[in-house]
Amino acid sequence: MRPPQDTVISRRWFLERMAWITTAAAGADALVPRPLLGADRTREYLREIPASNNTLQQVSELTELTISETVDFLRRGVVSPEDLVRAHVDRIDRYDQFYRAYADRPSLDALLASNRSEQDGSYQPLKGVCLAPKDNFYTTDMLTEGGSLVFEGFQPHYDATAVASMRSAGGLIVGKAQMGNLAGGRAQVYGTTIPTTRNAWTPNHVNYSPGGSSSGTGTAVAARMAVAGLGTQTGGSVVGPGNAQGLTCIKPTFGRISLHGVIPLSYTRDHVGPMARNVMDAAILLQILAHPDPNDPRTRGLPPAPNYVGSAAPTLGLNTPVRWPTRVGVFPGWTDPNNEAVARMRGDFLRELESMGNVQLVGEITLPEQWEELTSQPLGGSHGDPTAFFIEPLRRDVRLFGDRLPRFLNGMLQSADTYVKVQQARMLLLRSIQTQLFNQCDVVLTEGSGAFDGTGMPVLCMPIGFDTDPSSGMSVPRGVNLAAPPFGEERLFAVAAAWQARTDYHTVRPEDPVG
Amino acid sequence: MRGNAIHPPSDEELNVYIRTRYQLLGVDISVLPESDPDAPMDQERLLENGRSILRQEVVAADFDIDPQFNLPVPHPAPFVAWTEEVEQ
Repeated sequence: MRPPQDTVISRRWFLERMAWITTAAAGADALVPRPLLGADRTREYLREIPASNNTLQQVSELTELTISETVDFLRRGVVSPEDLVRAHVDRIDRYDQFYRAYADRPSLDALLASNRSEQDGSYQPLKGVCLAPKDNFYTTDMLTEGGSLVFEGFQPHYDATAVASMRSAGGLIVGKAQMGNLAGGRAQVYGTTIPTTRNAWTPNHVNYSPGGSSSGTGTAVAARMAVAGLGTQTGGSVVGPGNAQGLTCIKPTFGRISLHGVIPLSYTRDHVGPMARNVMDAAILLQILAHPDPNDPRTRGLPPAPNYVGSAAPTLGLNTPVRWPTRVGVFPGWTDPNNEAVARMRGDFLRELESMGNVQLVGEITLPEQWEELTSQPLGGSHGDPTAFFIEPLRRDVRLFGDRLPRFLNGMLQSADTYVKVQQARMLLLRSIQTQLFNQCDVVLTEGSGAFDGTGMPVLCMPIGFDTDPSSGMSVPRGVNLAAPPFGEERLFAVAAAWQARTDYHTVRPEDPVG
Repeated sequence: MRGNAIHPPSDEELNVYIRTRYQLLGVDISVLPESDPDAPMDQERLLENGRSILRQEVVAADFDIDPQFNLPVPHPAPFVAWTEEVEQ
């Protein structure tokens, strides 16, 4: 069996890459795009989307369908894309007054027209799939306001590359999801600290957070007002709402998904992350989105995207084995959080994990040298990053930034010396994690994602149980974060696939709002 | 090592520095309330944050890192994949 990509970055790929750079540098005025070797391969991988075990009669509502089920039902001709669009729009019309997940939406007519438009026979694996990108992705047909007065009324004239990729694959953008002010915190009324978006599990209790900053996407997906969506993560903003709402999300290796047309927070730490209801759906979206983009050099020259869909399919065998032998480590203190129920849940999770085939639990890892210094402020942060992009609105009126103002002024106070040192420390941290952490394990369970966000390593979140929120008395999901070395997405998908093959936490849906 | 004649600046001195820096760059923070915990932001909180950022400059400056082995890299994950390939 082929090993996962985190263990083998092929030498052949590297030599091809070097040859391309040499050729381009020698003769070309501008670097020509690399041949899209990955396009055919991507199509081939997407054809591996598995058949659903359900029949249409077993599905209570069309909005229950996941991406893989939608693809299968469409393939079998038992539903039409139009049925799917109508079902989602109807649900949003009924319930978004409670959830407040969407910032802007197209009309039903526009969606139906978009659904009917043909793409010259191109393969459209997402045909009829209703999606909810966060409101920091540029869209030509809807405003892009970034949850902030700074971008109020902003109408982009092009789609973000990630949005364009989803549309090109047949996906329908049913709305722009509310988000924390300029990608920080939970969604609020612009310019205030009044919360808007509810957690899908506690729609009548505003104080229970939906997680941020990809709040609206998390709620829309969990509340079945979208099949899946896109968030962005600079410091936990995909896995935070993902864990808060029982979703399976992947923040991939830096550069895997284009950031072109996404309102930046940090040029060096921002990531686009698929947010979905199970690991297969997260893998399908990543498969579609992981490609080089001429408009974002950060996506160029990476190893070709491997078969994410294949890695997210469970492997048959004794004890639902993980596809590849995998050592699982645990951050110090992870099994002992300040919450008894969560501690119990994590203990159960580890015992269950250990009973799975191909899993070796290695226990608490020893942290790399200088961990505290390299992961805390200022060396572990990105203080200076947001300022340059926002100079004009900062000069116009600082009040537009609301409670997030300090984050956007910090760059005016941070010296170039410190900025360089932060980048040196970031590289040192990555080397330390690779040589002193991932020498102990292949994936690690971690409370926070900061060290992996700063270094650009992949992180996946998935649900492992339910707990009672004391303030609302409601049952709410709890999840875990798993991190892996660069290009370790397949490994993360494989672990999640094995876990979700033997548990059903990811299939439990929140009840509809009352009101 | 810093000389004995250098004393850490006071809050007031840093506040003057911060206001001057913003003013130099054309950013007017006087439109914010001086101190209002109910407002989304006020000058008092902004200056407090600014002082914290400036004092962290010292932490960064004091951090000893070998400049020959640790080049600054804005996006380290892909970079390391390339360098490891070279070593294989």
